[in-house]
Amino acid sequence: MEKQNIPDAVPFKFGKKLKTWLGIAAAVGLIALLWGVFIAQLPASRIWANLWLNALMFLFLGLGALFFWTVNTLGESTWQINIQRIMESMGLTIPFAILFFVIAFPGLKHLFEWTHTEHLDEILQKKTAYLNMPFWLIRFVSYFALWTFFAFYLRKISVKNDFEPRDNFLKKLRSTSGWFIVIFAITSSTSAWDWLMSIDGHWFSTLYGWYIFSGMFVASISVIILISVAFKRFNIMPNINSEHLHDLGKYLFGFSIFWAYLWISQYLLIWYGNIPEETIYYVERVDNFNTLFYVNMTVNFLFPFLALMTRGAKRQPLYLSVIAIVVLIGHYIDLYLAIMPGAVGHEQAAIGLLEIGLPFFYLAAFLLLFLVFFEKAKPVPENHPYFIESSDYENI
Amino acid sequence: MRAIVYGYFTDELDLLNAVKELQNKGIRIADVRTPFPVHGLDAALKLRRSHLPKVAFVGGLIGGTLGLFFQVWVFTKGWPLNFGGKPFLSLPSFIPVTFELTVLIAAFSMGIAFLLRSNLGPGSIPDILDEEVTDDHFQIILSEKNNNLSETELVEALAATGALDVKHVNAEK
Amino acid sequence: MMHVSPVREPLINGEKSYKDITKDVVAPVRAKPGKLWFVGLGISAIVMLIGFAMIGYTIWFGIGTWGVNRTIGWGWSITNFVWWVGIGHAGTFISAILLLFRQKWRTSINRAAEAMTIFAVMCAGLFPLIHMGRLPLGFFILPYPNTRELWVNFNSPLLWDVFAITTYLLVSLLFWYMGLIPDLGTIRDRMKTLWKKKVYNFLSFGWKGSARHWQRHESMSLILAGLAAPLVLSVHTIVSFDFATSVIPGWHTTIFPPYFVSGAIFSGFAMVLTLMIVTRRALNLKEYITVGHVESMNKIIIATGSIVGIAYITELFMAWYSGVEYERYAFMNRALGPYAWAYWIMMTCNVISPQLLWFKKLRRNLAFTFVLSIFINIGMWFERFVIVVTSLHRDYLPSSWAMYKPTWVEVAIYMGTFGLFFTLFFIFIRVFPVIALAEVKSVARSSARKFLGKPIKKQSSEKQ
Repeated sequence: MEKQNIPDAVPFKFGKKLKTWLGIAAAVGLIALLWGVFIAQLPASRIWANLWLNALMFLFLGLGALFFWTVNTLGESTWQINIQRIMESMGLTIPFAILFFVIAFPGLKHLFEWTHTEHLDEILQKKTAYLNMPFWLIRFVSYFALWTFFAFYLRKISVKNDFEPRDNFLKKLRSTSGWFIVIFAITSSTSAWDWLMSIDGHWFSTLYGWYIFSGMFVASISVIILISVAFKRFNIMPNINSEHLHDLGKYLFGFSIFWAYLWISQYLLIWYGNIPEETIYYVERVDNFNTLFYVNMTVNFLFPFLALMTRGAKRQPLYLSVIAIVVLIGHYIDLYLAIMPGAVGHEQAAIGLLEIGLPFFYLAAFLLLFLVFFEKAKPVPENHPYFIESSDYENI
Repeated sequence: MRAIVYGYFTDELDLLNAVKELQNKGIRIADVRTPFPVHGLDAALKLRRSHLPKVAFVGGLIGGTLGLFFQVWVFTKGWPLNFGGKPFLSLPSFIPVTFELTVLIAAFSMGIAFLLRSNLGPGSIPDILDEEVTDDHFQIILSEKNNNLSETELVEALAATGALDVKHVNAEK
Repeated sequence: MMHVSPVREPLINGEKSYKDITKDVVAPVRAKPGKLWFVGLGISAIVMLIGFAMIGYTIWFGIGTWGVNRTIGWGWSITNFVWWVGIGHAGTFISAILLLFRQKWRTSINRAAEAMTIFAVMCAGLFPLIHMGRLPLGFFILPYPNTRELWVNFNSPLLWDVFAITTYLLVSLLFWYMGLIPDLGTIRDRMKTLWKKKVYNFLSFGWKGSARHWQRHESMSLILAGLAAPLVLSVHTIVSFDFATSVIPGWHTTIFPPYFVSGAIFSGFAMVLTLMIVTRRALNLKEYITVGHVESMNKIIIATGSIVGIAYITELFMAWYSGVEYERYAFMNRALGPYAWAYWIMMTCNVISPQLLWFKKLRRNLAFTFVLSIFINIGMWFERFVIVVTSLHRDYLPSSWAMYKPTWVEVAIYMGTFGLFFTLFFIFIRVFPVIALAEVKSVARSSARKFLGKPIKKQSSEKQ
């Protein structure tokens, strides 16, 4: 195949109509929040926990995409080059997550028991060397500093290649990706401990970080799918063909199974060992969040597993995007289950207007930032050495 | 007695062109034999997608279901035993064996289906026309059976595509 | 034909046409084996027989001939079992997961790696059987209808293991053999004597290379890969359950499943490298198993090795973070107790030494890779030793603390499995094609130097 046979991507223009829609979505989220705070006067912990949950979800979409891009770069894979700019731009939203986290900072004492040191219990006292505010903040800042640096630096390398292609481009991209993966491997786990596991302060599980990572990865794949389908549909990137969707579908399928594998590994070992210190985590969820507990498994594993099994399912844009939406909601529920039982407690936690409405604000913010960044560069990295390969392949 | 006409190419791209050429002339191709799966040949020959994945799916479904139900039966009806205070019907415990049986039966049902469907198996004697097909010959086989052309016409048509060493034999079937 | 970026390194060096590929790969099967082969086979067979004799000795006199005791009931035997199962993970990983990820370089090494998988799993399977003390007891692990109407314990991870290992062995065998069929057909057609032709025709199931067969074959391979990929994960996951479902500090930890899988692939690739670096020289397959292939495998080594390293550190951190006295002690004891030497061998070989592979020069250096792969093999053996022995040797009751030392019987049995493994491997390389012929040919057009028209560069020729 020659380069000219690949349909040209149209430089994206962030139109007014789209902005209006995003504005409406954001307004819905804000109204839900204001309603929750002033009209319904929901318990403080529930509000703070929701802000925390959405900040995490916002971050995960970008971080997962950045991981996806870098790991594909390291694997010398090519299929993703056509949609690489989507992943790049998603990665650039990472630093803005700081804002959303910081908004929730005043409520940290509602979320994390270990923050108010005056009445630390015996078990938490043993952990103060790790779980203390200054160190926690240092970690918070360093995670974001590192991730942001890599997101922007990798983007810079990639965009620079559009204008002045260099021979060492791939080498540089790869070595930087390598560094990022090393840092990500550590920070993805530790951040999950810091921001999620320590909500249930007494509880511990070695697998937890990897489990959270797998959920994040699946969630961001579903967003990549949704954006790809939309860009294809609205002719912004006609270069996306059904092979790319097929591959994205495979990732969604495969990593949904991987997520379920980690879920069951953690659950089964704790269930089998039957040590009260560990089982408490699941007892709380099975007893008091019974419906969601099973919905989580169904929506995040059974549904994509059955729905994406056939070849046709992965190649049909509309069908694929419906599955992606369901899985995305599923991983929101997964995070909900990770946060709420510990931070809010079953007496006060519920799914109401706040839980349903608030994500729209964050989604709109995410899309707004994404589109702003996407607009800034060419929609496809044409000078990437593997670019033609990326349009010229077939799934068996 | 029906005649079979065959010839070969040493490059798979020539083969693909020849296949298209023959099809444009309305000649039906009895078989193409190659040393490795040639990319694009399935489409050129308009082969239907294989049903083997479905066999695997059904096999896996049967394996998994039987595996799970057997375990459930053993622990609720067959001989319920108390292991470490766990409930008799402890589903998480049954997942590993269920999974393994799903994979086992799915894989083997598909493997066996493949052999049966392709008429391959221990003791199967193939009708090899050219031993180099497993080396570097890409062979096209035409048959009088499904074409209205005579033997000589088929030989000419095949030779016209650039096939080397076009031969014909009279096959029994 | 699909476009291939000019920056990619060719996977087949030299001016190899399809005919050359056939000739080179079939050569070891057609040629009379050399002296070295007979010497190798002879030594392996003798070691294997010594091992078998020691198995007989164990069964005759009982497990008392081993160094295991009441505190440390699982000594070398289970260590070796887990180690061998781990070695058996590379083959199916290469042929299944790398197939799904469309990594073309796998075609040159998958056949041999899969054979290794099967042999390694056979070696592994021996240990639990011997450990039962009486071989007929192995019969009782199968759920068969019997007069006592008693079934096996489906609640036990040890039983899950039976199913996992058996399934893994059978499915790997199926996957391997289905891939072999076309190549055995090739060998059949290259044989001159009639009886050999007949034998290979029997083995090749009458393969004739029909397009329709290829289409089904490809479709089957893809689905088999899809089935085998989670199977690879499940096998070592279930092996890890043997430990992790218990409540013993150092065993009971949730990270075990993925970390065992990663460790298994890590050690499996190390073994593949150890063997292939030798095989490619001995069988003259340097053009097919290139330095580029070694580099790719080294990349997998560094990825899986680092995952294992992170898991070690996570475990260590969580032991502290949990605040549980016993957890903390178990890990202190690992790192500083009487078996600390084993722990630090493990750490050095598995976590620190693979980090050298971040340097491209070392990744592409065969001598270095060979030495490193042996280090990793040793390190991964010690990982299992550390997990099995150090977690057990100081249990909750200090009066039952004990130490463990293997007897010569255990050592000989372990060596015997090496004998078994290499005997099978030596036979394999003379009877079956070591490289997946058809698969290599199918990527030749896009990845062989001849078809790409690339001159051989000076620096890419290897140094040995």
